[in-house]
Amino acid sequence: MNAALRLSAASLRAHKRRFAGTFLAVFLGVAFLAGTLVMGDTLRAGFDTMFGNAARGTDAVVRSADAITTPGEAQGVRQPVDTGLTQTIEQVPGVAAAVPDIQGAGQLVGADGEPIGGQGPPTVAGNWITDPELNPYRLAEGRAPQKSGEVVVNRGTAERGGLSLGDTTVLRTPDPVQVTIVGLATFAGEDGMAQVTYTGMTRADAEKYLTARPGEAAGILVRAEPGVSQQELVDRLADVLPQDVEAITGQESAEENNEMISGQFLSIFTVFLLVFSGVALLVATFSIHNTFAIVVAQRTRENALLRALGASRRQITATTLVEATAVALTASLAGLAGGIGIAAGLQALFPAIGFPFPEGSLVVGAVSLALPPAVGVVVCLGSALVPALRAGRTAPLAALRETAVDSSGASRSRALTGAVLGGLALALTLTGVLVTPSLWLAGTGAALALVTFVVLGPVASSTAVRVLGGPLHRLRGITGRLARRNALRSPKRTAATASALMIGVAVVSLFTVFGASLKATMDQTVSRSFAGDVAVSAPAFGAGGSGLSPRLAPAVGELPEVDTAVGLGRGVAEVEGDGRALTVTDPEALERTFDLGEIRGSLTDLGTTGLALTEKEADRLDVAPGDTTRLTFTDGREQTFTVRAVYGRSELAGDYVITREAWAPHRTQDADTLVAVSFADGVSAEEGKAAVEKVAAQYGNPEVQTREEYAESSAGGIDMMLTLVYALLALAVLIALLGIANTLTLAIHERTRELGLLRAVGQTRAQLRAMVRWESVLVAAFGTAGGLALGSFLGWVLVAASDGASDSAFAFAVPPVRLALVALVGVAAGALAGVRPAGRAARLNVLRAIATE
Amino acid sequence: MTATATTGSVTRTAARVVDAVKVYGTGDTAVRALDGVTVGFPAGRFTAIMGPSGSGKSTLMHCAAGLDTLTSGSAYIGDTDLGGLDDRRLTLLRRDRVGFVFQAFNLVPTLTVAENITLPLDLAGGGGDPEWIDSLIDVVGLRDRLGHRPAELSGGQQQRVAVARAFAGRPDVVFADEPTGNLDSRSGDEVLGLLGRTVRHTGRTVVMVTHDPVAAAHADEVVFLADGRLVDRMEAPTADRVLDRMKAFEVPS
Repeated sequence: MNAALRLSAASLRAHKRRFAGTFLAVFLGVAFLAGTLVMGDTLRAGFDTMFGNAARGTDAVVRSADAITTPGEAQGVRQPVDTGLTQTIEQVPGVAAAVPDIQGAGQLVGADGEPIGGQGPPTVAGNWITDPELNPYRLAEGRAPQKSGEVVVNRGTAERGGLSLGDTTVLRTPDPVQVTIVGLATFAGEDGMAQVTYTGMTRADAEKYLTARPGEAAGILVRAEPGVSQQELVDRLADVLPQDVEAITGQESAEENNEMISGQFLSIFTVFLLVFSGVALLVATFSIHNTFAIVVAQRTRENALLRALGASRRQITATTLVEATAVALTASLAGLAGGIGIAAGLQALFPAIGFPFPEGSLVVGAVSLALPPAVGVVVCLGSALVPALRAGRTAPLAALRETAVDSSGASRSRALTGAVLGGLALALTLTGVLVTPSLWLAGTGAALALVTFVVLGPVASSTAVRVLGGPLHRLRGITGRLARRNALRSPKRTAATASALMIGVAVVSLFTVFGASLKATMDQTVSRSFAGDVAVSAPAFGAGGSGLSPRLAPAVGELPEVDTAVGLGRGVAEVEGDGRALTVTDPEALERTFDLGEIRGSLTDLGTTGLALTEKEADRLDVAPGDTTRLTFTDGREQTFTVRAVYGRSELAGDYVITREAWAPHRTQDADTLVAVSFADGVSAEEGKAAVEKVAAQYGNPEVQTREEYAESSAGGIDMMLTLVYALLALAVLIALLGIANTLTLAIHERTRELGLLRAVGQTRAQLRAMVRWESVLVAAFGTAGGLALGSFLGWVLVAASDGASDSAFAFAVPPVRLALVALVGVAAGALAGVRPAGRAARLNVLRAIATE
Repeated sequence: MTATATTGSVTRTAARVVDAVKVYGTGDTAVRALDGVTVGFPAGRFTAIMGPSGSGKSTLMHCAAGLDTLTSGSAYIGDTDLGGLDDRRLTLLRRDRVGFVFQAFNLVPTLTVAENITLPLDLAGGGGDPEWIDSLIDVVGLRDRLGHRPAELSGGQQQRVAVARAFAGRPDVVFADEPTGNLDSRSGDEVLGLLGRTVRHTGRTVVMVTHDPVAAAHADEVVFLADGRLVDRMEAPTADRVLDRMKAFEVPS
């Protein structure tokens, strides 16, 4: 073994404790990363198997050829096919069976009266396909629906809603339909297809409630006779199908479905988690760098002695790097194992909390196996590189000098560099946000701002700790004063320790500020655009929910208390080649309940050939009132519309407005997303709301909300998102705290003699503990303050950049209570981080401490 | 105040140990650092503990001062039996009734000279006696250095600050462990002179461990330790007499 290796091994053995913090930081970061990747792989493989199994009996799917995809939508909208085609298909040689597959939105109401699901995954209703080969669902209990009103429900949904066989409940399609559960089904052996709710009804019921007119289906499922391959079947079907209808193999269909879930949901989910493991690893970098920097500083005399005895720079540097590698490797491998363990744990946990994790063994891909340890090693070695080089530069003479306290940090050049960087960051950001809106410029500026904070940390730490610790002196006397001075001892070290926490807190505050701003924006949007008194909406998020009955708005409109009730439906069409969402409504009434901004032209009498659109879209198409534009609907039909009005504000009303009459020929399942109501003169808010609620009760009991409530519930998803983000960031903050604890432990080791002296001259254990804890709190407070400032700034950049990038105005809001809470948690966490080092310090033997070298 | 000290008849002891035994380690490796020492340190006097290396003089001081505990026997500060005190009480006793001057690393580097001097008083949470502190500052001659940090002082100046701190709380007894060990002879003389003057002018008690006969000569009395036992006492020592006595230790061994 060469000298460097031997020295490293000896040092590692002697200072196991010192590297425990580094080990933990790398371990946690790598475990998070590995867990995310393995879980992604496993979910993807699980869904793959699930769809494969479910579609095994289906050899071909017949559907309309064109789909219209609007921006922000995952799945295109297809026109239904004529079920009459079934007979034609059955005549094709090699076809064993063909059944229409009717699909629509249907939300069941649970035993408690609350709708089941609707917060993300789709709520699907369809016809119960009696051919078991073609039906992805299998009857587990009960029987298939035989007469109107009978349904089969997937078992997971029934359990969630507290429903059992024989129960009668309501299915919102969106019109409430009384249904009796006669069967419970499973999907590919599971209680359901993830969280998707499924209701199977008779074909007649499905046609009645889920399609615009009888004789339509989403597609036709075809089974081949034995010996006929899927491709052969598709080829034969293609010959008999009309031009706008296509056939795809069952395998392709399964792949498409799988792609939809993995490609959309899983990718977003995985990327989301990866971002947060990135944050955790970034924080870890600071902690690790700090540990090595301190260890090297503490070893100055030892290294100098080695240099004096003839060790080369390279050998000294190598010694430190070998140590780092050893820690990195063990921690990364342990992290990998931990990550796989986490994924396995989640796989076991998810079904227990009602989230059907697809069956199957854990899948650990090559990337999940190789990437996390590689990242761990790179992070660890990268963090140790500068300290290692510094160790190599130790002058042999340093062996003879008394080791002084590390006083580096607040150099003039650092302050200058920081100031220049800060100026640059500010200039870039302001230009990118205010002058020429550019996400790229703003993003670069934001990244530079982060770098500025890290560079200026040591310069700012003295002042900041002095200010933050100011009251401590008065509050805690000599203990406080000592804590403050200790935090001031090594500005660079204090700053590096605090930086880790600063980044964590910055990201937390960034999301807090951005979330609050989104809410404020939502609030502003509603209060600006919504001129009605109450809104009726079916709470839904993502693809779930079934919307509102289109008959609700007219029914509410007839109330004597109500002046206007307007329902907003949704349609899609291609406008000059691009998919766009249409708002299907009564345009005249729309004007009375929504503030559409400045209107050119008129919204009255749009008829079946008129449309209204926003200023932005009018600019894009270069049209003005009186001009014409072409719309292509999902049924492939093209129609020319005359632009009758151009309006300024699109936030709630959408970009395009057409009448119900114009939409009727192209409609699918009818549903409104929102009914806006304004009361007649002299009707009080309570009176009006009560009256509307009474009517709404007959239409599936959707929620009736005042303007404020509506604004609040529109922002409801944001809080959910924030909670998730906080939970994910907790890891980064934990790593930062480990860093603080580790730095303190090392500092205490360094100050052993001083602590012994303090104890000798009468410092009690409690006072010593308090001193260390307060130092920890001060460092944490510095990091938290920096993080809050940086996070708020970045939040502002994000809001301002979003404002510039989108046409709707973004509001910027700083939530004082939440941020105060973040500050409190940061400082309290600092106190917590100090507990262990303080305990260790207090246990020092006084005599031995004084005698230490 | 000085009367009782000089008459030597009904001398009150500021600190004493009775049948003190201290054993380090166990079994074959056990070392008897103190082997049944009984000694009292009279109040108002400057006593030096001398002995060759390994004689147990530092151990005696540490046990007498409550920094270490005896294996058997008892140690008293005034009339307080240290054996009966828990860590907290011992700490409070050190803070309120004992002062320390160590060989090196005597000051807290982050505190100023003034803050170092009042450190025990600040730790106790009380202000102390400003006049007393003020006069101490004059005695140690550091009035112009009060705002400085220890790193900005010479070794001798640092040790003078430590002496001032040791006396700041008017302790019953000040223990000094080789206070001149790290200093050149001139600075050492200054510190020793300071200790002696403070004892004589203010009636305080100082117990000093040293191996330097010149340092011991500044004391009122020297007690000699060898192999963990008290072997001799010498009143009004001079450097030569102490040196002679020390040489006597080396002959038998």
